[in-house]
Amino acid sequence: MDKIIPFLEEQVGGTCYRSYKFCVDEREVPSVNYEESHAYTLQKDKYGETDTSLKTIKDISKTAQQIEGNKPLFRYFLDGSRRIYKIDDIELGKKIFPIIGGQIGVACCERQSPSQFKKAILEHNLVLSLPSEADKDGKNSEQFFNAITQKINNLPKLQQYNLKFSKILTYASKALDPGEKFENLGIAKIQDEMIECEKKIVSELVKKNLLNQDNYLIKDGSLQYKPMKSGDFRELSKIKSNYRCVIGLSKHFNPELSKDKSGKSNATKIAKLPLYHRTPAFMYQTDIVSTEVHFCIWYLRIRDVKYTESPFSGVVKIEKVLVTDDEIENGLSSDEIDLISANIINERSPVAYGTDTRWANHLYPIYLTEKYVKSQYISDLHFLNLF
Amino acid sequence: MKNIGKIVATEKMPTTVDDFYFWTDKERIIKPFDVVKVDHVSNSVTFGVVEEISHFTDSPSFLSGYISSDFGSVEHKPNTERIGMNYVKARVVGNTEGIFTPVLDGHLVSLADESDVKKALGLDEIKNPLPCGYIEMYEAPNSIRIPVHFNSHFLIGPEGAHLNISGISGLASKTSYAMFLLKAIQNQYLNSDNDKESVAFVILNVKGKDLVAIDEPNKNLEKQDIEIYEMLELEAKPFSNVNYFYPYNKDFPTTYALREDVNSQIKQGKAFQFKYIFEDDKDSIDLLFSNVDDPTQTMESIVNYITTEQGKFGGITNWQELLKEIQEHTKKGDTGKDKEISISSWRKFYRLFKKTIDKSSIFASRLGDGEVRLQDQIKNIKKNDVYVIDVAKLDEETQGFVFGDVMRAVYDLKLGQIEREEKDIPSKIIIFIDELNKYASKEVPKSSPILRQILDITERGRSLGIILFGAEQFRSDIHDRVKGNCASYAYGRTNAIEVSKGDYHFVPPVYKSMLTRLKQGEYIIQNPVFRSLLNIKFPKPIYKQFK
Repeated sequence: MDKIIPFLEEQVGGTCYRSYKFCVDEREVPSVNYEESHAYTLQKDKYGETDTSLKTIKDISKTAQQIEGNKPLFRYFLDGSRRIYKIDDIELGKKIFPIIGGQIGVACCERQSPSQFKKAILEHNLVLSLPSEADKDGKNSEQFFNAITQKINNLPKLQQYNLKFSKILTYASKALDPGEKFENLGIAKIQDEMIECEKKIVSELVKKNLLNQDNYLIKDGSLQYKPMKSGDFRELSKIKSNYRCVIGLSKHFNPELSKDKSGKSNATKIAKLPLYHRTPAFMYQTDIVSTEVHFCIWYLRIRDVKYTESPFSGVVKIEKVLVTDDEIENGLSSDEIDLISANIINERSPVAYGTDTRWANHLYPIYLTEKYVKSQYISDLHFLNLF
Repeated sequence: MKNIGKIVATEKMPTTVDDFYFWTDKERIIKPFDVVKVDHVSNSVTFGVVEEISHFTDSPSFLSGYISSDFGSVEHKPNTERIGMNYVKARVVGNTEGIFTPVLDGHLVSLADESDVKKALGLDEIKNPLPCGYIEMYEAPNSIRIPVHFNSHFLIGPEGAHLNISGISGLASKTSYAMFLLKAIQNQYLNSDNDKESVAFVILNVKGKDLVAIDEPNKNLEKQDIEIYEMLELEAKPFSNVNYFYPYNKDFPTTYALREDVNSQIKQGKAFQFKYIFEDDKDSIDLLFSNVDDPTQTMESIVNYITTEQGKFGGITNWQELLKEIQEHTKKGDTGKDKEISISSWRKFYRLFKKTIDKSSIFASRLGDGEVRLQDQIKNIKKNDVYVIDVAKLDEETQGFVFGDVMRAVYDLKLGQIEREEKDIPSKIIIFIDELNKYASKEVPKSSPILRQILDITERGRSLGIILFGAEQFRSDIHDRVKGNCASYAYGRTNAIEVSKGDYHFVPPVYKSMLTRLKQGEYIIQNPVFRSLLNIKFPKPIYKQFK
């Protein structure tokens, strides 16, 4: 009994169907998509930045030019990704549940100089996502699944390749809402675990005093972390001070969801944003995260629209968590917003043109970090053959 | 030693029994021919020689590079440089445990130290070592300099013999390299206690006054060159036991050498003028027609007719009489016994023969004071003697004639056709000739007696103890059987057209382009005892230079 599936069958007392194993990443990403959420509140009475006179757009090109050649503001780059596999189906108490496997990779890279780009922190975890029903007794699930994880890691096959599963995650095996699937619940758990990893890395950087006003971190994607039921970093509101020198940079966003102060869609304004210009910053809260966390967001065009394939590519969405009371009251300093924007403009090259279709929205250091994370994965065949 | 990278084995570029790839930092300076070592299975170490180095980034196209420079701005300086690295292709030359399975992905690659390099290239086990240059590897502070030795048994027999040197005139220093090796050989035998093995040298000077003062020191030799001679354990002294032979001419020999030098050499008893006397040398007439296309073999028939003293050729005693007799055969109405040879053939023969005889004074009736016959001299050559025969100022036909005659004399001597005590005859005689292409090119008529002589020497010389060191501009011009029989090759700087020819098919592309850029004093050598081609250097000549 070398492989994981027969072992799992025995441990949880279910029957596996030996169904087709495959990597599901090519398919549509399920789980909660924070970007798609409508549930946020724009702070109509508050400005996102200190310069309240800014009503339309602002040209950042001169600021960017002035600081060209200076030490860049951004030193650390964080990206997380995961690879999901549908491993098998297991019958537990006459119900069928999918067994989902995943590789989670989160890396923070450090740019020591223009030619020195190195890994600062890497987390590469193998995880399994099982239905909560897999624990027959259901009394001390955490202990139960930890014990199974330990036993799986002791299987000769894993020992042979020096591989370890870090965790077995559980998804709720209760009745499903219409349109919902167990697969998606399982995958969402893995996604949550990845986000937890990201938060952990930010916390590590802060602990080591690596992030400060001269050394910022760009995190790929949004910072709108929803509260977790468990984990050390379950609520962003509790750890928001970690994000003092962190910005979230989203390559893609739903333009229809961005609203101006009056609550109207400002998609057209973003589409018409001239090169190296930014929108005013807005302040908002979202129910997904917590009403206690205020975000400041703005949009910035880093590529000329004539070179891009849609009016929205070439525009990035920048998010920053407002930390101090003053910031929450008056918005982020406009100078800081300009400085961040100018530094992002100066990160515009090299480009991943030809290797990534999202090149116009990509920043090269983020792209490299993403590549690094993916290079650390074990191959799909290798992973699937453990089962 | 310093780790410089790791092995990469991919689907498209796997490591094999023969070669492997590894990445290095883009700033790391290494060059083709450098030796690297790789940790391999069973605690063994595999050695490789660098063949190709490529720089590589994640840029998929030129356009991507253009866009990355802010859409074509040459001033643009990005905050992050594009990720890039060098990848190196190396050829496997050996493994410490004789394991030849491909090296494994991710294994460390490091620079080698001196003893590793020797082990890798097979330089540590060379028997009968004879210095042939030195290798310089890596950049400071890791640079190393290692002397390289031929196994002399593979250069001058009995295991393998003959050396071919090719390269562009001037830039390749072919003569200097040949002389460096000859000096090393003389050095070894002069200091040897071995009575059975001995050597003598016959050197033909075909250009200017290059080799007419090889027993005089090079006063411009710099300290670093002397250090190299010391490293190679060679005496930094010019050749010894040298005799010079200049073509006879009435007032002063036909030579480019300076009058005072020649006179001084004559005074010291080491220079002589040589002549060809009809009665003794008529058998060599065929050599004068080496490069004449003779498909119907009429020239050969005439030579045969004369040397066998048919017709009225019996009583002739000198070259002029011979010329007159030949002229007789060119006249109409001559109905002698040689009907098989047409008058037009006699006329052609006469025209060619007269041209050579009239032009050169070496064809004489008898010897005077200080004048010698080359055949006699060569037949009496002694151990460690160096004979320099200056043919530089002679016309091409006469040069060929002298060279052919010298080879014949050496051949006769070594075949035991001369009455001399066997033990007094040098066991090996090395002949050095530049511009080998004149006598052994693919274009030379197959009937050429000189070509036949050269083929004889390259094919049978090893066992007889006659060694040919030939040099030419373009190796591809040389007769296949001549170069095929050489055990060692030295490739000096050449041009791109030459390296595109079949002779260089086995040379990896990077080495080919290196061949077109080699500096003076730099060679790529090939010898059966080396595990791969070696890029060696050698010091400046130890004897007087006229440049």
